[in-house]
Amino acid sequence: MRIHRVVAVGITIAIGWPSARAIAQPSPAHAWTVPRTPDGHPDLQGNWSNATLTPLERPTGLDRVLTKEQVARLEKIRSDTIEKLNKASDPNRPAPPLGGDGSTGAAGNVGGYNYFWIDAGDHIAIVNGEPRSSIITDPPNGRVPPLTPAARARQAERVRQATRFGQYDNPENRPLAERCLMSFGSNAGPPMLPNYFYNNNYTIVQTKDHVMIMTEMVHDARIIRLNGGDPLPPNVRPWMGDSRGRWEGDTLVIETTNFHPRQTLRGASDSLRVVERLTRVDERTILYRFTVYDPSTFTQPWSGELPFVSMGNDLVLEYGCHEGNYALSNILSGARAEEREAARRKSAPTPSKP
Amino acid sequence: MRKTIAALAAGALVLSVAGRVWAHHAFGAEFDPNAPIRLQGRVVKLEWVNPHAWIHIEVKKKGGGSEVWMVEGGTPNTLVRRGLTRQSIGYGTEVIVDGYQTKDHSLKRANGRDVTFTDGRKIFLGSSGTGAPRDGRDPSEPPVKKPPK
Amino acid sequence: MVPPRLCLSVAVLLLCFPFAGNAQRGAIPRTASGKPDMNGIWQALGNAHYDIEPHAASAAMAWRPGPVVPVPAKEVVALGAVGAVPSGQGIVVGGQIPYRPEALAKKRENQEHWLERDPEIKCYLPGIPRATYMPLPFQIFQSERATFMAYEYAGAVRNIYLKDPGPPQIDTWMGQSVGTWAADTLVVTTTGFNAETWFDRAGNHHSEAMKVVERFNMLGPDHIQYEATIEDSLTFTRPWTIRLPLYRLVNPDARLGQFKCAEFVEELMYGHLRKVPLKP
Repeated sequence: MRIHRVVAVGITIAIGWPSARAIAQPSPAHAWTVPRTPDGHPDLQGNWSNATLTPLERPTGLDRVLTKEQVARLEKIRSDTIEKLNKASDPNRPAPPLGGDGSTGAAGNVGGYNYFWIDAGDHIAIVNGEPRSSIITDPPNGRVPPLTPAARARQAERVRQATRFGQYDNPENRPLAERCLMSFGSNAGPPMLPNYFYNNNYTIVQTKDHVMIMTEMVHDARIIRLNGGDPLPPNVRPWMGDSRGRWEGDTLVIETTNFHPRQTLRGASDSLRVVERLTRVDERTILYRFTVYDPSTFTQPWSGELPFVSMGNDLVLEYGCHEGNYALSNILSGARAEEREAARRKSAPTPSKP
Repeated sequence: MRKTIAALAAGALVLSVAGRVWAHHAFGAEFDPNAPIRLQGRVVKLEWVNPHAWIHIEVKKKGGGSEVWMVEGGTPNTLVRRGLTRQSIGYGTEVIVDGYQTKDHSLKRANGRDVTFTDGRKIFLGSSGTGAPRDGRDPSEPPVKKPPK
Repeated sequence: MVPPRLCLSVAVLLLCFPFAGNAQRGAIPRTASGKPDMNGIWQALGNAHYDIEPHAASAAMAWRPGPVVPVPAKEVVALGAVGAVPSGQGIVVGGQIPYRPEALAKKRENQEHWLERDPEIKCYLPGIPRATYMPLPFQIFQSERATFMAYEYAGAVRNIYLKDPGPPQIDTWMGQSVGTWAADTLVVTTTGFNAETWFDRAGNHHSEAMKVVERFNMLGPDHIQYEATIEDSLTFTRPWTIRLPLYRLVNPDARLGQFKCAEFVEELMYGHLRKVPLKP
């Protein structure tokens, strides 16, 4: 069990929630009791962040639990990098190199934008006092299990289908997040995973019959019905699926099915089922655990856990993605401009030799 | 010195996500690595919108006159939570931008690869680096209190 | 057989003691702290979403000159009666919106350019109060510590803060809402709007200066009286108010649907940028 000291800070879980001043207790024997809603269940409400340095899958060579030294080293690498990235630049710097600046990944050889826009998560996730090398805990190697032969065949077919189009031919060929249909990564999920960039924030509101979890990107509200009710028919498959919840003691258990056909978590099929468990473990933390079931896709179910930590006074802000989406039209118009330029160069007469 | 999020992805994040880097869109899809730009001019408008803020800068053209460029930034939400607003950079402030133009060269738009004041300091740094103590850290460590707005 | 005199007496009794209107609708449900409990799914009826002012039915929202009278624009003519506009009694108290002259001119321009300008057509966030009377329901999640509204249209949401976080630091489509209870009325003040949203499909608009004060007052377990007062001195000559009832979806299985319409408008917004655009 994690040992913690409850410290005296003015923690207001979120604006709109009444202040909860934590009392400093010198003795670790003071028991924190979970606040409860009027119907007697633990109160999960507030604004929470699941940003973390810990990745979904375990990198090779690491154990499940990191040592103090490993944690310190990783967090220092991150904080050193941030410090470096925030240093002043040369005001006399020229334009960046022709042909790109060599940056990889999301920065796409054009350098992305300054780090001050990013809020990626600077600390390793700690669960039950253990600093974790991965969110995934089962399979024991901390990785998504292998795909079944059927899933591999479906994936190959998807790749074949995708080659019918260039990746910039149509808006439908672009990623969901670029189209502002969902967040990047699996922020809303379920499972609700961090995106390692920014805005990894959630608002939870809890009533007798429902729990509402709103993901900042893209202001997606998951509405979890607590009192049974019929499941959706198999042909009705909304984004984020259909969620039903129940309390098992002090843990909220949520089961989700009927995922949207294009919300394919790591290649999942339409029989994907996700079970989540939310438990308030201390003043500032909800322990979030999930299991992914899809026997037609994965050779075994896989599970993970990570903390959702209180945002304190910070607000979850409107993320009007579609309303401000210049990027999608820039990308499509850019591809069309390149095609026109390539066509022009092809049809241009060969210059005569001097 | 890499001033970009790429440095973070490649260098600092030792626990990489098995080579899979999330991006809601690839900057490489929108901007042209063969069209580097360096702009210096006054901020004339701030579109404080998601998914990307846009900083409009009026730059003088060679040969007279001026034109307005739009420079892409990130989500303003992270800045607002750090106590920064669009008032943190007043209209008329002179900035220097280096980056790459959109692939559609008919647009005067570029990525804000590095946006600084004329002395080289990054804009929008606010009072602290990340100031984000709320990601899985040991709860026995006190959180950093935000400065009031 | 009941003696006629007794019948008369009973009749007089009923006439003399009519039941109060509210009591006929039943007692208002209340939360643990005694506030009216508005948890559930609600929807406006009527046609305010077309035009919040009183209006007769008409053939279309977008027009072109016809040989005799104006006819529906070619972009909408194929919709036939589905594209026609039903009549509405209006929800503006006093009937007309008190526009400043230049703002009224802009409204007319908005109407003439409805297809290009109405943010609803592009599935943009509807703003307040338009979100309330869209033709799709919304769900209220009300606990002791929070009041949150999730709208089916475009997945719009708003968190009505019960403690004021200070002036909004960012202009948004849905604004920043702060709620307080005045007896049994939830009073919600919303500021921090951008200038992009409309009040309806009829071009009624506002500026960033707008402040909206809403009042939610349960008339009975299944009805809310909804009022919103608009203040925006850049656009209007005085504050004005809309008022309409909201009706609970009483089907026990009622649930909010999902209408993430950004996907549905891609051909409209980006079709011309396809590698091979569709032929007109």
